[in-house]
Amino acid sequence: MKTYDAVIIGGGIIGLSCAYYLTLKNKKVALIEKNQIGNGASGACDDMILLQSKKPGKILEMAIESLDIYKGLSKELNYDIGFHNRGGMILIDKEEQIPFMEDYVKQQKKYGLNIEMIDEKAVKKLHPYVKDGILAATYGSEDSQVNPLYVMRAFLSSCISKGMEVYKGSGIKELKNNNGNWQITLDNDVTIESESVVNAAGAWSREIGKLIDIDIPIEPLKGQIAVTENVPMLGKENIWSADYIISKLKPELVNHSERFKELGVGLSFTQTGEGNYLIGSTRERGNFNKNTDKEVIELLTNQIVEFFPILKDVHIIRTFAGFRPSSVDGKPIISEVKGKKGFYIASGHGGDGIALAPATGKIIAEMICKEKPSLDISEFSYDRFI
Amino acid sequence: MSKIICRCEEVTEEEILQAIRDGATTVDEVKKFTRAGMGLCQGRTCRKAVERMIANELKEDVSEIKTSSYRAPVRPIKMKVL
Repeated sequence: MKTYDAVIIGGGIIGLSCAYYLTLKNKKVALIEKNQIGNGASGACDDMILLQSKKPGKILEMAIESLDIYKGLSKELNYDIGFHNRGGMILIDKEEQIPFMEDYVKQQKKYGLNIEMIDEKAVKKLHPYVKDGILAATYGSEDSQVNPLYVMRAFLSSCISKGMEVYKGSGIKELKNNNGNWQITLDNDVTIESESVVNAAGAWSREIGKLIDIDIPIEPLKGQIAVTENVPMLGKENIWSADYIISKLKPELVNHSERFKELGVGLSFTQTGEGNYLIGSTRERGNFNKNTDKEVIELLTNQIVEFFPILKDVHIIRTFAGFRPSSVDGKPIISEVKGKKGFYIASGHGGDGIALAPATGKIIAEMICKEKPSLDISEFSYDRFI
Repeated sequence: MSKIICRCEEVTEEEILQAIRDGATTVDEVKKFTRAGMGLCQGRTCRKAVERMIANELKEDVSEIKTSSYRAPVRPIKMKVL
C-alpha cells in the first residue's frame, strides 16, 4: 500500500492550491480526482478576483491576501496565469438599488478597498457602449482577473514535478481511520494511506463527509454562462449589475419577476485575455443538471444586449454550467474536523473559490504542518456546525 | 515550426504535447490548458487529433481517452436571434 503525508480529494483550484503549498513544504502528496481536473466549479466559472463582491469581513480579508499572492504567482510558477488588473464596475439602473449599494460601498471602504460611486457621465467615459439610463456605478480599481484554467495547469505541473501522484477517474469507496492513519479505497480497489486528508471536493464535499459519518452542509448552487466569439474590448473594466450583488448577498431585495428570483439572475460580464466575453449568471438551487437551458441563456443574453445594445450581432459560441459549493451560512469551511484527527475540509467557497484559492491552500498547508496560520480564520472552522 | 492542430485558436502540436507533459490526460483537460477546441468550431476539427495525440503519448488505446463534452449552441448564434 502506498503511503503519503497528505491526500487531497478534489482536483479543482482549491485542491490543487492545497497540494501546491504542501509540496512546497516537501510533503509527499497524492491527489484524487473522480473525473477530470477542473471538472466542477473551477472549470465552469468566469475569471474574476472581484473584491467588490466579497462580504466585508474575513472573506474580504482572505480575498485581499489571495490577490496579493496571485500578483506574484506567474513568476513563482514560471507560467503565465493570465493575471490582469482591469478594475470593475457595478452598474446601478434602478433607484431602489442605490441605498443598498451606497451602504455596501461604505462598508467596503472601511476595509481599505479603493471603491467609489461614480455618476453616469463617468460610467460612459469608461464604457461608452453602455445603455442610457444608468443612474450610477461603483468603481473598484483593485478588481482583477486570472485565468483559473491556467492557474490549475500551473499548480498541477508544479506539484507533479515535485513528486505528487495523481489518481484520476476513480471515486472513493471507503475512507476509514486505521491507528491514526487514513485509509482510502478507490472504486477501482486501489488503497492508499495518509496521515492527513483534505476534502476539497467542492459541491460534492458532502458526499465525502458521509464516508466518515459527518454532515457537511454544502450544496450545489448552479450557475450558467454564455461565451461569445473573440471581439475587441468594449471598455477595460469588467461589469456587474447591482442585481448580481443583491442576488448574492440579499436575495430578498431583488425586484424582478418570480422566475428571475427563482433563477437568481444577475449580470456578470467579463472578458478573457483572449477576447471572449463570459456572460453570466444564475444562482439555481436544487438543479443538479450540468446542461444549460435555452430559457436561461436567452435571459442572460437578452439582459446583456439590454445593457450593451452593440452586442446584438455578436455570436455566442458556447454555453456551460457549473455548481458552486454553497455552504449553509455562505462562508467557506476551512479547518480540521474535531474528533477526526488529520481530516481537513477546504470547501464551501460558493462563487468565491477562484478569489480565495491561494490563501486557502496556503493556510491548509500551514495547519497540516502545525504552523500558525498566516491569517486567523477560526470563524471558518467546521466546529460551527457541531 | 510546429504543426497547428487547432486552427481556430492556433494551438500547435508542441503546445498540446507540453500540456500532456504538464498532466493533462483527457481532451477536456488539453482544451482547458491550451484552448485547443475552444474556438469558433468548438473542436469539430481538432478533437479527434487531440484524442490520438493523448493516446500516443500515454501509450493507451484511443478508445480509452475521455473525449470532450458537447454544449449548445451547435453553431455560433447571434445574440439578437436569442
